[in-house]
Amino acid sequence: MKHAFLDEYSHLESPVHRLDPRAKLLAFVVLVVVCVTTPPNLYSAFAAYLGLEVVLVLLSRLPWKHVLKRLLVVLPFILVVAAFVPFFSRGGGSYNLGPVKVSAHGLMVLWNVAAKSTVSVLAVILLSSTTPFPDLLRGMERMKVPRLLTSLLSFTYRYIFVLVDEAQRMKRARDSRGWSGKWIWQAKVIGHMIAALFLRSYERGERVYAAMLARGYGGRVRTMYLYHPGISEVGFTSLVVLFPLAARLLA
Amino acid sequence: MHIPDGFLNTGVSVATGAVAAGVVGYGLYRAREELDERSVPLLALCAAFVFAAQMLNFPVAGGTSGHFLGGVLAAVLLGPWLGGLVLTLVLVVQCLGFADGGLTALGANVFNMAVIGAVACYYLFALGKRLLPKSRTSFLAAVGVTSWLSVMLASGACAVELAISGTSPLSVALPAMLGVHAIIGIGEAVITVLVVSVVLAVRPDLVRTYDLAGPAPVFADPEVNR
Repeated sequence: MKHAFLDEYSHLESPVHRLDPRAKLLAFVVLVVVCVTTPPNLYSAFAAYLGLEVVLVLLSRLPWKHVLKRLLVVLPFILVVAAFVPFFSRGGGSYNLGPVKVSAHGLMVLWNVAAKSTVSVLAVILLSSTTPFPDLLRGMERMKVPRLLTSLLSFTYRYIFVLVDEAQRMKRARDSRGWSGKWIWQAKVIGHMIAALFLRSYERGERVYAAMLARGYGGRVRTMYLYHPGISEVGFTSLVVLFPLAARLLA
Repeated sequence: MHIPDGFLNTGVSVATGAVAAGVVGYGLYRAREELDERSVPLLALCAAFVFAAQMLNFPVAGGTSGHFLGGVLAAVLLGPWLGGLVLTLVLVVQCLGFADGGLTALGANVFNMAVIGAVACYYLFALGKRLLPKSRTSFLAAVGVTSWLSVMLASGACAVELAISGTSPLSVALPAMLGVHAIIGIGEAVITVLVVSVVLAVRPDLVRTYDLAGPAPVFADPEVNR
């Protein structure tokens, strides 16, 4: 089965894709931190962050459809948590929209979370869609993230595809037998599926460990790191770090 | 319940991040102590399992559905620290791979779902297990109640963090979050109990926190008995 839900498009050819993952990780983390700590009334700063990201999406040749689809993940959270705030909070003057009162302070809160989460999610989309996940982890390892953590993450990534396949096979088998979940007492089927999935996963883990031992595994996975930081990494990082900082300070 | 970037203020992000980093660090230490290099494939497979299990929606009532979170399940199967570590791995992959949950909110998400949802709830579970009579039924009852509580506590913590950050007022966010998750929590409890009881029946050795000595099931096939 084909899965494209993790690091989709990370194997395209573009100047952004070719960069050392460390440069991208550093640059985008700084961008997110700068954005999150910007006071919400600096509108031009947010416009600058968004503009920078639009340029990077164009440079990296990512399809817009993919970027916008991924952007939708924040929408439910904004709707559930913040969309009602303008109608409930008080202070900062208010506007009358027909029968409902909208508080200016509440609108500012809504703008604050909507702008910051959009810019930040775009940054993470740019990072994950231009960097294959294993390369990102190798970059993190070179940035002194504990090796146990990075190797756990890379194995998790490796087996997510296998287990999602397994889960979807079970789901297809269940649905083809006419199951339709409507009520909570039907959860028994799901419980048994998850239990079977756990047993298969755990036993697979034992088998994988035995196979790894047989191939000389001693607690460390040896891999090659094919990136060499050079002038384009320095240029990219300084652009993505300095431009938002300048935009924020001048705004 | 994955908080995106921009919803929390700096204080909340840093404080929850510090607690989360401490717990994850201790989890990594315990992984090395308890499982040595075997920990890598085993814990990673468990994390991938939680990830895949979260994709199976269960019906809540009528048309709505919720999905499984797995904090208490991971803690009951692997112990609190390794369970918390497994949940953290899932959250990191979701954050970096899916943009689901923000980078600066990662600490808070790990705090809510791994530290509270797995580690803290494990200790509630251990307390319940001590107070209840020692039987398989009360073991499963403790699993069920703490699974429900883990969903409630994690969503409550999420609402409190949003309120401290000034994003949404506590008087509105807390009842809304708890109200929705009281129902989702029932599904979580039912499924966690079912999964634990099936694993207890098939491979009781894999439920690391089950300390009630019972007769091990004997199968006709010697291969299965190991």
